[in-house]
Amino acid sequence: MLSFWKRLTGQSSLSKEDLEPVLQQFKTTLIGKNVAQNIAEKIVQSVGASVEGKRLESMKSVKSAVREALHDALTRLLTPKQSTEVLADIEKVNAIERRPFVIVVCGVNGVGKSTSLAKTCFYLQKHGKKVLIAACDTFRAGAVEQLKTHAACLNVELYHQGYGKDAATVAKEAVRRGTEIGVDVVLVDTAGRMQHNEPLMRALAKLVSVNQPDRIFFVGEALVGNDAVDQLSSFNKALMDFQKVPNPRLIDGIILTKFDTIDDKVGAAVSMVYTTGQPIVFVGVGQTYYDLRKVSTSVLVNALLR
Amino acid sequence: MVLNELGKKITSALRRMTNSTVIDEQALDDMLKEVSRALLEADVNVRIVAQLRTNVKKRVNLEELAAGVNKRKLIQKAVFEELCEMLDPGNKPVALKKGKPNVVMFVGLQGNGKTTSCAKYAYYHQRKGWKTCLVCADTFRAGAFDQLKQNATKAKIPFYGSYTETDPVKIALEGVERFKADNYELIIVDTSGRHKQESALFEEMQQMADTIQPADIVFVMDSSIGQAAYDQALAFKQAVKVGSVIITKLDGHAKGGGALSAVSATESPIVFIGTGEHMDDLEAFNSVSFVQRLLGMGDVSGLVTS
Ligand SMILES: Nc1nc2c(ncn2[C@@H]2O[C@H](COP(=O)(O)OP(=O)(O)OP(=O)(O)O)[C@@H](O)[C@H]2O)c(=O)[nH]1
Ligand SMILES: Nc1nc2c(ncn2[C@@H]2O[C@H](COP(=O)(O)OP(=O)(O)OP(=O)(O)O)[C@@H](O)[C@H]2O)c(=O)[nH]1
Ligand SMILES: [Mg+2]
Ligand SMILES: [Mg+2]
Repeated sequence: MLSFWKRLTGQSSLSKEDLEPVLQQFKTTLIGKNVAQNIAEKIVQSVGASVEGKRLESMKSVKSAVREALHDALTRLLTPKQSTEVLADIEKVNAIERRPFVIVVCGVNGVGKSTSLAKTCFYLQKHGKKVLIAACDTFRAGAVEQLKTHAACLNVELYHQGYGKDAATVAKEAVRRGTEIGVDVVLVDTAGRMQHNEPLMRALAKLVSVNQPDRIFFVGEALVGNDAVDQLSSFNKALMDFQKVPNPRLIDGIILTKFDTIDDKVGAAVSMVYTTGQPIVFVGVGQTYYDLRKVSTSVLVNALLR
Repeated sequence: MVLNELGKKITSALRRMTNSTVIDEQALDDMLKEVSRALLEADVNVRIVAQLRTNVKKRVNLEELAAGVNKRKLIQKAVFEELCEMLDPGNKPVALKKGKPNVVMFVGLQGNGKTTSCAKYAYYHQRKGWKTCLVCADTFRAGAFDQLKQNATKAKIPFYGSYTETDPVKIALEGVERFKADNYELIIVDTSGRHKQESALFEEMQQMADTIQPADIVFVMDSSIGQAAYDQALAFKQAVKVGSVIITKLDGHAKGGGALSAVSATESPIVFIGTGEHMDDLEAFNSVSFVQRLLGMGDVSGLVTS
């Protein structure tokens, strides 16, 4: 094996046989870092294809050549294609359309939607925005009281109609209320739902099509394994299929929570971005309002290749 | 159940090997590769998968097999036994005693389903004739007491908690003592979510366990968790005397391998699985019959004893 890692230049160009064991090793590394198995496979395959046939520069082992190519590929993948900053867009909508900017958070059960929504509220307030929170999880026990507590701490208005009501309607009323009292942003909390629970996914699509939010953030936890891929693709597919409008609104960004619980196993970030092509807008790094951060691509890439 | 998908893949890998005419090193490698991939796709810990692969190879050591030995059977047996080993906690579930107060404390990562599972667990036992009650010792999460209260009210189960007390250990003790005095048989204590990186949270959990002296500590884990599962589970086990495991959200599509890896870390059996958000979405779980179903083998017992 060692000869593979240590092979120097001057010899032949990189062949499939040289690459295979090295690629396998990096694949295992990525899976160990919690990248979904089929995504780890696709990434190393394309990295393999990109270096195959190339000549090794002097004094470079196969391993370090592959590492370099993988580093580049991951950096390209994780670098947001467009700005993740929402503030400018909020100001634009407020000024030109004279209405509140509407953000919906969605995701599976227990990932941190409501907490992230409260943190986002705090972030927006720090930037001078006036916010209203809409309690559109009308199902889970204690969901409304959870937001009441946050709204009281953050000193913002909470719009709610208790439990059992149609979430889409509650959201609509909340936006109307937000417009009435002149807020800049309405943050809409939704109930957690399993991605293949069709009635619940239809209800989410309805909430979106009725309210046409400016942003839909998918909240996923950094702890999630291979299911990340299915969660995101199924949420997007449900939004696509069930909105019944010509231009359905899809997921615009990801909030990656519980980043403080995974040490360097940051692979869920790769799985999520790879699946949607959407950027990570914020990471959650704890349970207080201050624990919402932007994550740098190089931090993620270095953790993955460590 | 989705866990079965993993079983199907493993059985088909075994079957394919059975069908190939000669069983040589290559056939064994191919089969092990396929089994490993199925396990990794299901989020089983990478180290455990690697170990399983080495162990099977070691046990099967093809060179040394005398002619006439049924290689296929031997390989299947080795794979099966290694999987059993992975899933065998080595300990029996804690037996609760009717007619006496049994304190059961629920612990786990944030948002994994502790509060919901506490209520389901109480409801399950109440229907079996136990005199059950719930104590909310989560003073941290917004709305935690309301959540437990609403669930308990729905299931007509007595509960204890406080909106003002901030010391969870104090509340736990007060609740436990009050219900003991009233001759409750099953006193279920819900706690805040926590993770190994926050040592203060772990100390609080240890202090609570020392104070209320539970008969059993139930570790609740989300079925979608990936590679971080093992380390987190191990940390909980090392901090307190975890005796049982509940795996939640198996109504989703996660294959649950991360959580299965946790079994070996906690050395405790899975006693229940959560299959939905409603009160009766809790199923008793039997590890042995699960492995048999996992492998979809009617002839399993034959394999093991032969
Ligand atoms: N450590 C850590 N915990 C978090 C983070 N974000 C959320 N949590 C915790 O995760 C748990 C669940 O958070 P919620 O905000 O209630 O999750 P949710 O997605 O709204 O849950 P449902 O509405 O029940 O589906 C709470 O205990 C939060 O404090 C984070 O970034 N780090
Ligand atoms: N679909 C499904 N949802 C579940 C299951 N068990 C719990 N949940 C949901 O998961 C979310 C989190 O559950 P909780 O019981 O609040 O989790 P927790 O561990 O008490 O959370 P913290 O106290 O914040 O750490 C809620 O939306 C529950 O309804 C399950 O088996 N299936
Ligand atoms: Mg919520
Ligand atoms: Mg709870």
